Amino acid sequence: MKKVLFIFLALAVVCGGLFASGSQEKADSKPIIGMATDTNGLGDGSFNDGVYSGLKRAEDEGLIEIRLIEPTSMTDYVPNLSGLSEDGAGLIFATGFLFYDAVLEVSEHYPETVFAGIDLSFDPSTMPSNVIGITWKEQEASYLAGVVAGLMTDKYSNLSDKLNDKNVIGAVLGMDIPPVERYIVGFTQGAKSVNPDIEVLSVVTGTFTDQAKGKEAAIALSEQGADIVIQLAGLTGIGVFNAAQEKGFAAMGCDIDQSFLAKANTITSARKGISEATYLTIKNYLSGDLKSGSNSEFGLAEGAINLAPFNDFEDIIPLEVREAVEKAKAGILDGSINVYSTRAELGM
Amino acid sequence: MNFIGSIINTEFFIAAVRLSVPIILAAVAATICEKAGIINIAMEGMMLIGAFFAAWGAWLTGNPWIGLMFGIFAGTAMGLFHGWATIDLHMNHVVSGAVINILGFGITRYLMVLVFGHPGNSEQIPLSLAAFRFKIPLLNKIPFIGDILFNQTPIVYLTIVLLFVIQWVLKRSAFGLHLHAAGEHPEVLATLGISVKKIRYIAVGFSGTLCGIAGAFLSIENGLSFSEGMTSGRGFIALGANTAGGWSIIGSVIASLFFGAVDALALRIQVLNIFDIYSELFLIFPYVAALIAVGGLVFKSNPPKALGEDYQSE
Repeated sequence: MKKVLFIFLALAVVCGGLFASGSQEKADSKPIIGMATDTNGLGDGSFNDGVYSGLKRAEDEGLIEIRLIEPTSMTDYVPNLSGLSEDGAGLIFATGFLFYDAVLEVSEHYPETVFAGIDLSFDPSTMPSNVIGITWKEQEASYLAGVVAGLMTDKYSNLSDKLNDKNVIGAVLGMDIPPVERYIVGFTQGAKSVNPDIEVLSVVTGTFTDQAKGKEAAIALSEQGADIVIQLAGLTGIGVFNAAQEKGFAAMGCDIDQSFLAKANTITSARKGISEATYLTIKNYLSGDLKSGSNSEFGLAEGAINLAPFNDFEDIIPLEVREAVEKAKAGILDGSINVYSTRAELGM
Repeated sequence: MNFIGSIINTEFFIAAVRLSVPIILAAVAATICEKAGIINIAMEGMMLIGAFFAAWGAWLTGNPWIGLMFGIFAGTAMGLFHGWATIDLHMNHVVSGAVINILGFGITRYLMVLVFGHPGNSEQIPLSLAAFRFKIPLLNKIPFIGDILFNQTPIVYLTIVLLFVIQWVLKRSAFGLHLHAAGEHPEVLATLGISVKKIRYIAVGFSGTLCGIAGAFLSIENGLSFSEGMTSGRGFIALGANTAGGWSIIGSVIASLFFGAVDALALRIQVLNIFDIYSELFLIFPYVAALIAVGGLVFKSNPPKALGEDYQSE
């Protein structure tokens, strides 16, 4: 095993050397920032695209030079990260939680390079000093969505034919993993902050790929009176939008503005600014402010969490709801609102 | 009592039918194929490929009926591929099936990137088959049953019609007899001068057709787009339904309906939060049900005698 690794590294050094000698001929000396996508590659409409657009923004501003690599399998992760380091990249984004082991392994051999793991969180006591874990405070985005849902489902339910007079909202969850838990906890807390009597129903589907199940879950929620259903279930959640269209209730999305899936039924989405977080990390790296050797969480304060536009509901959402959202934002920023991230804290 | 009323209502049965349809089609596909002597564990892969092609066709042309044709064509092609591997290449049936299942995941992902430019979820189709929902006059007036079975979408009706036709062909026609013989005593069939190879090809090809329809149901009737891995194990549940149903069409259908109902029930119990237990327990409901059913509690299992046996004609 050691031998294989040695040969591997030797090859990586040789290949890296070739790349490096090629790039030396270039006259400009902008810092090189590397990015390794996960095996989905660019065009996934999610993480990879988000990180890349953050990089692109920095490049368009003339700050950096991008070095991109798209691994085709997980066994490429280590050689690709090594290759990017050899290539002279000072900061490398490793996209997705499957990079965990690869980042730890490669960072040891390239102490001069900083490795940023997207959606990765490392144990602070043992993590290498040249690694940084980047996660989001999903709960802050869903808190804001919860505020909107909490007010719309009850007080303003007469404003849209998608809403009913029952004080019930719902959520369809994928697998019950930490980011999903943060989303649902924030959503529930946000809704209850403006509407203490509200009932928040939820279904765990246990899958991120089953549209049909997401649809049935949303229909089951709407049968019990939920008129606003938020999807926190990846591809399973697409079914929530299908159900909303078919049964005529309202939906909310997450991660990105998902209104394109059901324009007339989507109130808003809890946005997670992957691109913003990437851009900020690059800026910090360039200015020398990047605190590597630690995890950084991006939230409202960093401008990396927000609510998507109301789109078709722009003319329906009343002023009070908008003000409540602004108030919640201000409260989160000044610390007077403490948004929880686990069910235990919220007492669910 | 109040709980039961709010769970077991007409809506519940409609949901159960919706969740059962793809499983019924795939389970019947397995039954037909295995009656002819070819083991088929490849429904998952065939459905997935059918689902992709149906969505592609519907997206490309804007016409979901053409999408359905695409799905049927792709499913049939995969069925014939399984036939070619097992009949002409004499490959182990289970191995060929496993290959198709893996291929289904890989190839749909590859095609996603090729056609739509990205993996994950395809573009939404402009019009789905659900838009062609219609009521069957008179029959839809029957209380209860009318709402569940006779106010439905095209593939649901197609499934009902196909079930009657398949049952009739298997029980009453000469072809049905030949099919049984191909799975029970292929050498007898051969001595009668009937090609075992031909019968088996037809059976395995048609099982692919049914899987293609099942896939199309998921992507262009129940949904509006193809997403990677959207079959989510339904092909394997169908495999269980075929076994639990004792290799009979009626048994397969009943077992599939049972699995669909358990799934619908699990979701509703979870929504109502009746039992204060971990949500993970609800998720294993359908699988526990499948396990119990396959354990032989429902129907007596009697697989075809020559199932999985390679037949070499001289």
